[in-house]
Amino acid sequence: MESLKYRLLGSEGDIGSWGHEYVRNLAGEISQEFAKRQYDDMPIDALMELVQQIVAFHMKHNAEPEAVDLLMEVEDLDLLIEHIDATNYKRACLYLTSSSSYLPSPDDVLALDIAYTIYMKFEDYASALRIALFIDNNQYVKQVYTSTEDLLLKKQFSYIIARHGLALELDDDIAADDDDKEALQDIVNNVKLSEGYLTLARDVEVMEPKSPEDIYKVHLIDGRASASSSLDSARQNLAATFVNAFVNAGFGQDKLMTVLSESSSGGSSGSWLFKNKEHGKASAAASLGMILLWDVDSGLAQIDKYLHSNDNHVVAGALLGVGIVNCGVKDDCDPALALLIDFVNKEDTVIRIGAILGLGIAYAGSHKDEVRVRLSLIMGDPKVPLEVLVFSAITLGLVYVGSCNEEIAQSIIFALMDRSDTELNEPLTRLLPVALGLLYLGKQDNVEATAEVSKTFNEKIRKYCDVTLLSLAYAGTGNVLKVQKLLGYCAQHLDKGETHQGPAVLGIALIAMAEELGLDMAIRSLEHLLQYGEQNIRRAVPLALGILCISNPKVNVMDTLSRLSHDTDGDVSMAAIISLGLIGAGTNNARIAGMLRNLSSYYYKEAGHLFCVRIAQGLVHLGKGLLTLLPYHSDRFLLSPTALAGLVTVLHACLDMKSIILGKYHYMLYILVLAMQPRMLMTVDENLKPLSVPVRVGQAVDVVGQAGRPKTITGFQTHSTPVLLAAGERAELATEKYIPLTPVLEGFVILRENPDYQDDR
Amino acid sequence: MPTVSVKWQKELFPAVEIDTSQPPYVFKCQLYDLTGVPPERQKIMVKGGLLKDDADWSTLGVKDGQKLMMMGTADEIVKAPEKGPVFMEDLPEEEQVVAVGHSAGLYNLGNTCYMNSTLQCLHSVPELKSALSSYTNSGRSNELDQYSHLLTVATRDLFSDLDRNVRPVAPLQFLSVLRKKYPQFAQQHNGVYMQQDAEECWTQLMYTLSQSLRSSESSEVSGTVKALFGIDLVSRIHCAESGEESSEMESVYALKCHISQDVNHLHEGLKHGLKSELEKVSPSLGRSAIYSKESRINDLPRYLTVQFVRFFWKRESNQKAKILRKVDYPLELDVYEFCSDELRQKLQAPRQTLRELENAKLGLKTQDKNSGSKENDANIPKSEGPSDNSGEPSAITHEKATSSEKKVQLTGIYDLVAVLTHKGRSADSGHYVGWVKQESGKWIQFDDDNPSPQREEDITRLSGGGDWHMAYICMYKARVVSM
Repeated sequence: MESLKYRLLGSEGDIGSWGHEYVRNLAGEISQEFAKRQYDDMPIDALMELVQQIVAFHMKHNAEPEAVDLLMEVEDLDLLIEHIDATNYKRACLYLTSSSSYLPSPDDVLALDIAYTIYMKFEDYASALRIALFIDNNQYVKQVYTSTEDLLLKKQFSYIIARHGLALELDDDIAADDDDKEALQDIVNNVKLSEGYLTLARDVEVMEPKSPEDIYKVHLIDGRASASSSLDSARQNLAATFVNAFVNAGFGQDKLMTVLSESSSGGSSGSWLFKNKEHGKASAAASLGMILLWDVDSGLAQIDKYLHSNDNHVVAGALLGVGIVNCGVKDDCDPALALLIDFVNKEDTVIRIGAILGLGIAYAGSHKDEVRVRLSLIMGDPKVPLEVLVFSAITLGLVYVGSCNEEIAQSIIFALMDRSDTELNEPLTRLLPVALGLLYLGKQDNVEATAEVSKTFNEKIRKYCDVTLLSLAYAGTGNVLKVQKLLGYCAQHLDKGETHQGPAVLGIALIAMAEELGLDMAIRSLEHLLQYGEQNIRRAVPLALGILCISNPKVNVMDTLSRLSHDTDGDVSMAAIISLGLIGAGTNNARIAGMLRNLSSYYYKEAGHLFCVRIAQGLVHLGKGLLTLLPYHSDRFLLSPTALAGLVTVLHACLDMKSIILGKYHYMLYILVLAMQPRMLMTVDENLKPLSVPVRVGQAVDVVGQAGRPKTITGFQTHSTPVLLAAGERAELATEKYIPLTPVLEGFVILRENPDYQDDR
Repeated sequence: MPTVSVKWQKELFPAVEIDTSQPPYVFKCQLYDLTGVPPERQKIMVKGGLLKDDADWSTLGVKDGQKLMMMGTADEIVKAPEKGPVFMEDLPEEEQVVAVGHSAGLYNLGNTCYMNSTLQCLHSVPELKSALSSYTNSGRSNELDQYSHLLTVATRDLFSDLDRNVRPVAPLQFLSVLRKKYPQFAQQHNGVYMQQDAEECWTQLMYTLSQSLRSSESSEVSGTVKALFGIDLVSRIHCAESGEESSEMESVYALKCHISQDVNHLHEGLKHGLKSELEKVSPSLGRSAIYSKESRINDLPRYLTVQFVRFFWKRESNQKAKILRKVDYPLELDVYEFCSDELRQKLQAPRQTLRELENAKLGLKTQDKNSGSKENDANIPKSEGPSDNSGEPSAITHEKATSSEKKVQLTGIYDLVAVLTHKGRSADSGHYVGWVKQESGKWIQFDDDNPSPQREEDITRLSGGGDWHMAYICMYKARVVSM
């Protein structure tokens, strides 16, 4: 405390005259002194005076992190704004945003708030928008829109919002002109997503449809060519249906489902559809929706004829397909709502589920009131079959994801209280708490009231509900305390056959996936659980690893999963196989593909395992490698709530693989569509037409708090856009000719010509 | 009268007039003219749902210039095919066998792998199966003892069980009868049934079946087992000292492949096995003398069994020790050089035919390649060539063929169809496994209750020279031609 003492007593000359080390030392002492004085309730004015000087000194000398650290210690981040200028705001904000994930609860939002204010001050609106989306503040989002008159910039904002999956209704403040407003709204509604995706597909030359056999690559398997029997296996055909749907997702053409629409001359029509059995036909019809993903106009036209089928399963599948086609794409006419809503109250259970789930997928995250009104009636009806009830709840959860809607929460809680013991024992019931949790996805403390109510539930589901709510409410926050709490649940030895440890393991992954450091720690913790945990814990570990590294095949996780895929416990191995598909989703990773081929010959006799292997193979080649399931985007900063909601729902369904995915609810796998996004960088010109420019793509480097202007990517290669981006990769423009309107080059990026650019020649 | 634009699929029909005094059905008929979609198949999205045929325009509030979306196609509605596909999962278990592609495994009932592997190898002989199936319970003739009869019945039942099941079968009945008939298989050590020599089991079972199936009246061919497996040998016994020479005939069920220092291949071993020396009293010399015995095959069976003499009695350790030497064996075996002159004569013509057939096939194939059509492949006249023993007709058709105008002739060329291997260091320990070629041409390894597919290359790797499974008994199937 020496230097601080004499500084306060002594002369008040220039603080920097004694050198950097002195200032740094002083800052350390101030933070200690500050804590002490605050505890003793002593005045801090003199200290703050010094802080002012030190911050000013740091900011002038490229030591933004030190300045931010000091201000955080003395709880006065607002001071930063005064000292920041156009040269150092970027570094300061970068440090603020990345340190926010390690701050306790109110402080993190505060830090981000400051970052937002700074970005706004320096008119870096695209960066400000990213912060606004991160803290999920619609007010800020509108503010970003209204702060600029630049229509092109607004269009770029709309692209970012569309990728995030935020259902935003633009009002007249945002764009006064009707045409402009419509153009912006169209972008937010993802109307052109299909077009952009197909442009990418044509550019990388993968338009040719692929059949499931192209994916299985049986000829590469040693010796054990699976018995080429002339008979159809219903399960294998169903697997082929899914593989076909995943691989050709969004391409609008395939070799099983769409071929017949062109040669619809009777006899052979619908032949593949009818090679599936009962509810398999539902999945087959719905797969059409997946193939025509995002292409509402021609998609609905092709599905239409199935709606008139006299087979209830086909109709149900077609309804689900309508929902899938409209996933993430909104249209003024609301075709999905108009088509589906009347089927919700039909007699047949299968049709009802198809329509309900279709609505959930089409309107996820939209807070659509019509859906709520109609489905609340079902939720309130005690005579409704359990499966219809569960899917209604899931749909409400998806549509109102992260809304904290009290009314819906009440209706799910009532359903959980009212239903009998036998119904609570049904495997599907485990999805009711998930539906409830989705309402609070990522909303942290807001869940507490509901969590309190859940303590009064029947003891069969009380713990399950409690853990699920906790894990979903803190999903994507990186909250270490909650991770510890969940680890605590996993340390207990249960003897009453409780099942809440599965969701607890998943919860660890969901919470820890927020940032790299926590992610690595979680992978290590899961390794421990694998060694010491009991069977019901071990069964969830592969799935947890799957979500942690989704679409990001880390070698160590791949090895662990490969080992677990040969586990003696059937549930563990099946979960590991599915997870291999999840971590490789949309990467075409050759190593995983090879592993899965070997697994397909290893498990050639076990129908259930083989089905999982096929699904995983389909996932690895998702959209022929153009799609990703990663819910994070914008430099792994923003988390799309609808994408996460979709993943969570499927993972919870996978916790009981045998009765849900291998049972008759395999169409739940289509919920993954919520997380599907093209992993592309598509540059467009001022008329939003694709524009090919050279870009450098390389491994992203963490430059937070580093001195100077370090390179942000390493080991780069130069491509011309459109280009595919893998997990952990970053792109930068390799030409000065254009200026991007957003700092993060991902998805659709609008380029504006650089007025200062001079051609060398 | 408001005008609206209607979007249908990727088309847009601007300026469609709505007559608000008429029900929407009229509007739909207007659209029918434009799109060809029948009104009942049209779905038109307006605020709050689909446009109903009897709705009131005034309540819908359609504005001038509004964009409506219409859905619907004139496509044919998808109908379910009248006959749905049959799914494997729906079939009763016995029919699933066909789909799996091989028959069931056998449970190990405690050191019974010697028996399981033997049974699996013999089970692959369709002629034997059909002979057994015509064996009736009452068919026992007097000269046959009861246990032989029971053993035959048990074999028959077990073989049919194997054909009917997908899941492994427990050969309880068979085992208990086998132990009654041949008490040596019921030896116990420390209260546990001991491992036995598979060759012994094979030989005994073969002997019993040859007895029972011959005596049974139902099988028309006399001595079915003899015709299938029996090898007639003619031996010349020669004494170098006295110059005496005699010949004798014998019938065996397996050729022996003797393994010595300079045997590297089955051929050499067989040659070795057909020559032996014996000491007996020479009538001309009046004392015992060394005679050399040289055997030749006089009659060939449908299935040729070759036993590798891998075990010898080691007095010091008091057990059957194993020779680990690597002895290669071919997938295609020609025994012509072991045949007697008489038999060679007989084989000449069929061998010639076989060669011609094969050449013809090759010739045809090249022609096919030239013409570039693949379909003709199927039209090649079926010869019993090496590649198509997959589709080889079973015993019954063989017999039919024999009775009808053509006669099936042996050629002296054999294809490997089953291998019984042993892993371990002595006959009474280690593990026996059967490797059987299926009718589809695929190889299946029958490791007790766990059948698994194998590659053909791996089968020839079972030739020994290490601690891996090594061939102990090989069964070859005759390649035949119809003349």
